Amino acid sequence: MNRLVLLNIARFLLLLLLQVFVFNHINYVGYVNPFIFLMFVVLLPFETPGWLLLLSSFSIGLGVDLFTGSLGVHASATTLTAFLRPTILHQLMPKLEKNSTVQPGLNFMGLPTFTLYTAILVFIHHFAFFTIESWSFSEIGYTLLRTLFSGFFTVLFIVMLDFIFRKK
Amino acid sequence: MRSLILFLWKHRYFLLFLILQLVAIGLIVSNNSFQRSKFISASNGVTGNILSLYDNAVSYFALKSANERLAQENARLRNKLKTSQILLDTNSFEFQDSLWQQHYYYQHSKVLNNSFQKRNNYLIISKGSKQGISTQMAVLGQNGIVGIVNSVSENFSSVISVLHSRSAIDAKLKNSGYTGTIGWDGKDYRIGQLKNIPSHVNVKIGDTVVTSGFSFIFPEGLMVGIVESATEIKGKGYYDIQVRFSQEFNKLEYVYVVTDLLREEEELIENQTNE
Repeated sequence: MNRLVLLNIARFLLLLLLQVFVFNHINYVGYVNPFIFLMFVVLLPFETPGWLLLLSSFSIGLGVDLFTGSLGVHASATTLTAFLRPTILHQLMPKLEKNSTVQPGLNFMGLPTFTLYTAILVFIHHFAFFTIESWSFSEIGYTLLRTLFSGFFTVLFIVMLDFIFRKK
Repeated sequence: MRSLILFLWKHRYFLLFLILQLVAIGLIVSNNSFQRSKFISASNGVTGNILSLYDNAVSYFALKSANERLAQENARLRNKLKTSQILLDTNSFEFQDSLWQQHYYYQHSKVLNNSFQKRNNYLIISKGSKQGISTQMAVLGQNGIVGIVNSVSENFSSVISVLHSRSAIDAKLKNSGYTGTIGWDGKDYRIGQLKNIPSHVNVKIGDTVVTSGFSFIFPEGLMVGIVESATEIKGKGYYDIQVRFSQEFNKLEYVYVVTDLLREEEELIENQTNE
């Protein structure tokens, strides 16, 4: 249990730094900016209590906000994502037993389920983020375009990173 | 009372979610108001320090192109010096006079963080209140306008980029003198929109757009960009003018911050007119 907490704290810091110093500088064709830090929310253990899930997601969003000047926007979008995570997990895996022997990831969930699960979370976050950022529904076309472009690459990077770091 | 507590406890997950969302929205709103709160100003200092550490590490990679651009700019400025010009009219002579007074003071600053692909973009620069930067000062790049200082901490400032939904900078067409405002629709970081130019004006592709100096933030006549296309908006009597920014926002290493030395006087007269 203790090891799991440390692992998640380390992941929190590592992903935050990776996001701020590497992925925020990817500006491929002006639309693509993968938000790799969402991997933290994706990989939080199944049995994480609700308050911790919300608070830690809020914190990592706020952390990214502080470095990008988009204050509160990531925090809001990430909290929304975390809030919906239990419902999505319940829909995807109704028979899931919450104990510390299994973790979210390719190993336990398999490629199709994990990709779908990641994609749903990522698109919720990206759509909320880009909508709040543009602060209007009149630019909905561009919001959707950005959501799709960035979302695709975020999912790709998260699944690839999980593949690389999974335990054999 | 007991049932109220039970009710709150039952929905504690949703309540925590609501509270966190309220905090986030509070932050967004306070960040959107022109002056940021004290808290953000302080944390600006913390993140500013981390960003400058990072910048120290990566700025070496951009040294070559940065040098090149600075050398080009030096050459351009040298051309404007008295020593590089020749006196053609030998009948006139120069004398020291009190007619001219310094109006604007430029100081350079390093760009620590810059975004251009978001809907609302900000820059963080490495000078702050200790170096005499204050809010509402104009920020320029080597080739054109960049933004307006939004908040300052002791050693860092954050700048609202021209690439922002709320950016509205007074600009004019250089040859006809008609004035409008420059904004950004969030689509392409190379293209801005010049609004409020009436449709009877003759606008040609390739016309130069410069600042008009109306808002007392930007000095007059600074380069903004070049007209890329101009179409009349049907039934409105205005043009939809797309302007290609002369400043490349993806290549900002250094910027200039402009101090208006006559600011107080201008504000005084502006307030008097508004009363």
